[in-house]
Amino acid sequence: MAIHRGVSLYSYQQSQFFKELTLEDQIREVGQNLGGADGIELIDEMSLRYPEPGDDFRRQWFEWMQTHGTKPVAMDVGMDVLQFRDHVMSIEECADRLRQDIRLAKSLGFSNVRVLSVVPIEVLTSALPVAESLDIRLGKEIHQPMTLEGREVGDILDVVDRTGTKHLGIVPDLGIFQFRPSEVLLAWLERRGAQPAASAASVALALDIRRGQPPFDLAAISRHTAGNLRSDFNRYLTAGQCAPELLEVFDGVKQYAKDRVENPQDADYRTVAEALMLSRTSADTLREIAPHVTHVHGKFNNMSEVAGAPGQYQDIAIDYDAAIGALKAGGFDGYINSEYEGQRYFQDRGREDLMDEVDQVRRHQEMLRRLIAS
Amino acid sequence: MFENFLIRPDSLHNETRDGHTVGFTLAVRHANYRGCYLSLHNGYYVEVDGTEYPTTAQSFEINGKPPRTFDDIRTAVHEHWNYDDEGILHIAVPGGLAAGEHTVRFQQSVLAAYGYLPTDEAWVKNPPTPGSGAGSDKAPDIIAYTLTLTEPEAN
Repeated sequence: MAIHRGVSLYSYQQSQFFKELTLEDQIREVGQNLGGADGIELIDEMSLRYPEPGDDFRRQWFEWMQTHGTKPVAMDVGMDVLQFRDHVMSIEECADRLRQDIRLAKSLGFSNVRVLSVVPIEVLTSALPVAESLDIRLGKEIHQPMTLEGREVGDILDVVDRTGTKHLGIVPDLGIFQFRPSEVLLAWLERRGAQPAASAASVALALDIRRGQPPFDLAAISRHTAGNLRSDFNRYLTAGQCAPELLEVFDGVKQYAKDRVENPQDADYRTVAEALMLSRTSADTLREIAPHVTHVHGKFNNMSEVAGAPGQYQDIAIDYDAAIGALKAGGFDGYINSEYEGQRYFQDRGREDLMDEVDQVRRHQEMLRRLIAS
Repeated sequence: MFENFLIRPDSLHNETRDGHTVGFTLAVRHANYRGCYLSLHNGYYVEVDGTEYPTTAQSFEINGKPPRTFDDIRTAVHEHWNYDDEGILHIAVPGGLAAGEHTVRFQQSVLAAYGYLPTDEAWVKNPPTPGSGAGSDKAPDIIAYTLTLTEPEAN
């Protein structure tokens, strides 16, 4: 039993966008420069010529795995339900896409396929026979602000209990252990016009919630992804529309901002709303469900040096000690893959001020190595 | 994401056909960390020096094929716009743009969210107009670029 380290190539999205790193460059960096990491996770629509990368590519891919000492661990797949434009895709059509993606993953040697946190359980159960026949594990991502205590995990565990399948599990995104908005996100929002008082209010709201003193009921937000929740809040601000169950929460955020920020504008409300994008899940739950974890997204936004410990790094907004401790205590035997997401918070600036993804991942891997070994 | 970098800075050019200037072009990238099925591309909000150019004036060139209107693009349900690939946005406007510096305000609309959304049925019946933020969750703001159009020298 051991925790292994890998990288989601999502971490290198900017280097790929600017054509600074080819796919092989990314794989080489993982296999050769991260002190024993060897796992590769990728998003099919980012890293591959989707949906069919071709046999020449497959040969090249397996050659790279061999040459650079890496293993295909997980392929992350999507579900965009308006693909056909003349109708919304049915559950069965989504399951068809998932079956296609499972076959693609198998053809590249992956052992896991990650689906998005909002994929209905019926899509997973429909595709499960193909996953079983190909020995691919399906992992549902649990992404902030969802929690490990929520319905999304319960649905998975129910199916496992009912069928005994070993091919369905959970992918915890460790952003669910974030307890305050990232300092780099807040700095980005301030450059876009938010007041420093709004950043302070966002941190204060997050810490109020962490202490169990939320000023309003948060139950409604836990079944949304952070990305979709941000869109919902934007629509609430600009068009005055939102799903009925979100109204109390969004009104609450607005009031919290008004109480603490002088003359708040939309930028300030958006900043305070970032406190909603946090999960506040329990480390104990992660320990309990560790046997059902297919792999882990080691999400981070900014690795800064630990004060007084040169060469050691941390993300000040994510409780990695608790998360890694729970995985170890739960006997997790699989991959934690670095997933860097903070680069987007510098993309309002010129290219010279963008973050170095390679360096950030190296820092994250230093922390993983240290916490796993401690 | 990548809002400041979605338009290649040297890509603002007038387009001529049969000796007449019929419009201008911009080279653009996908405003996300992944590509998408091309059919999901709902067009752009494009405004140049205060003049807006609706999707009906736009066509999109990608995957080695000639420019297609967004009415055609929406039928490309099995074709993928890969993350690494630059597309050429063509804007039809007689006379094109004057040489020199222009302020271009720009936002992509791609109807790819995560999973089912309350807007799904509505967006099938009435696709949203780009510029409202619909389909722009990864690039929620209209971004202004300063771009210089250089005309080829007349011989």
